[in-house]
Amino acid sequence: MSESRGPLPLRVATVADDADRAALERIARGELGALDDLYERYKTMAYSIAYRITNDASLAEDVVQEAFLGAWRNAARYIEGRGSVKTWLLSIVHHRAIDAVRRRRATVELPEREEAPPPAFRLPDVWSEVSATLDADEVRAALAALTDVQREAIELAYFGGLTQVEIADKTGAPLGTVKSRMRLGLLAMRKVLSP
Amino acid sequence: MTDRRLPGGQPGGLTCDAVRDIAASFVLDALPEAEMAAVREHLATCPEPHPEIAELASVVPVLHAAVRPAEPPAALKDRIMAAAAADLEARDRESDVEDMLARPETAGAARTAPGARPISSAAGRQPRWSWALGIAAVLAIVLLGGWNLSLRSQLDDAQAYQRAVAAVLDTARQPGALTAVMAAPSGEGPTGFAAVSQDGQMRIAMRQLAPTTGDEVYEAWMIEGTDAPVALGGFRVGADGAGYLEATGVPPQGGLVLALTREPRAGMTAPSSDPVSVGTATPPASA
Repeated sequence: MSESRGPLPLRVATVADDADRAALERIARGELGALDDLYERYKTMAYSIAYRITNDASLAEDVVQEAFLGAWRNAARYIEGRGSVKTWLLSIVHHRAIDAVRRRRATVELPEREEAPPPAFRLPDVWSEVSATLDADEVRAALAALTDVQREAIELAYFGGLTQVEIADKTGAPLGTVKSRMRLGLLAMRKVLSP
Repeated sequence: MTDRRLPGGQPGGLTCDAVRDIAASFVLDALPEAEMAAVREHLATCPEPHPEIAELASVVPVLHAAVRPAEPPAALKDRIMAAAAADLEARDRESDVEDMLARPETAGAARTAPGARPISSAAGRQPRWSWALGIAAVLAIVLLGGWNLSLRSQLDDAQAYQRAVAAVLDTARQPGALTAVMAAPSGEGPTGFAAVSQDGQMRIAMRQLAPTTGDEVYEAWMIEGTDAPVALGGFRVGADGAGYLEATGVPPQGGLVLALTREPRAGMTAPSSDPVSVGTATPPASA
């Protein structure tokens, strides 16, 4: 069933969004300087996400390179209505990083290991680019809205690269429970952030 | 976009309820790629709105904000800008390909004997294109000067695709040669060009390929009609994402399908995964 609340954006477009779109238009025209601008703006965030997922500096670099080159090559096909350029770019980074760790997992026989509990989401120092849309208190409050099991499921999915079935296997929870934990966790965070 | 529908006519082969059921997994990338693609197709073609996707996805930036910042090495920017600059030159070269395909009367100029050879030596025997490659190299160096390209070898790597395309062009210029534009079935992914000469030599140049690891290779296949795919050979791919392959014994028939798959090892006799890029050999346009 669909939710009664509509998909309201959490924030209206910002000056940064406009600058990103302008950069993407220049990229679509083949202006290398615009790619330089976009890279400088999001290199840290992109690399941080890639490194968080892959836990491998070399692989993270490859992921970020592929993502920015993907943006470079597909800028003309970017559909503005999908969301902000930043969200689009970071979703490419995330998807490629997940793909990389799944490929690595398929080819590397991992030894049995003592599984530490997944680390709780850490709140870094406020990032300048993040503060443009979400302030540290909001992020902290949103993450605090998660129960332990919701946090674990979302962590394993988004940063661990596990599929919902793999999460069910790993945690011993039924698949339906895993799906509910992820969905309810995301909705709990949204509730905190919604105006 | 493919038109994969189940007999029931559900977009992407999924019902709306099924999509809602896995919406959270979708926005968190927690589905196998095939299911991710099915959901994407459903959302692209379903007449019903799916506000739950945007609603759940709207909090993903919070997850980004929860990652500990890490700075990439400065050399990464050099690599990216070098690859982008080379890509820009390759686009110009692709325009040249289109022009050439539209003007088959120019085919046959400056031919050299076919034969297996590496990319670097193949490019070195292209009189018609050598001037363009030279200019491209100069332009790339000028463009990249501002980015402090520390390793010249990175630029060389980034130009691998250009050299490969030049080698394919050599085959494509032969009288009666067929050409194929390679593209990812999903519309986003590896692209390239292939050419098949009348004497059965095929050359293929690819880019945007994910680097291979371990024993992995990219394997090229030819498919005649409804016959099973026949392996043409494989190659490995480095960080530049470029790949090149030559093969012989390929029938110069219009409609021949060429496909590229990523395989766990060389020597596979049948594809073990869906193609990452596909093209159909077509005869040169009549002048």
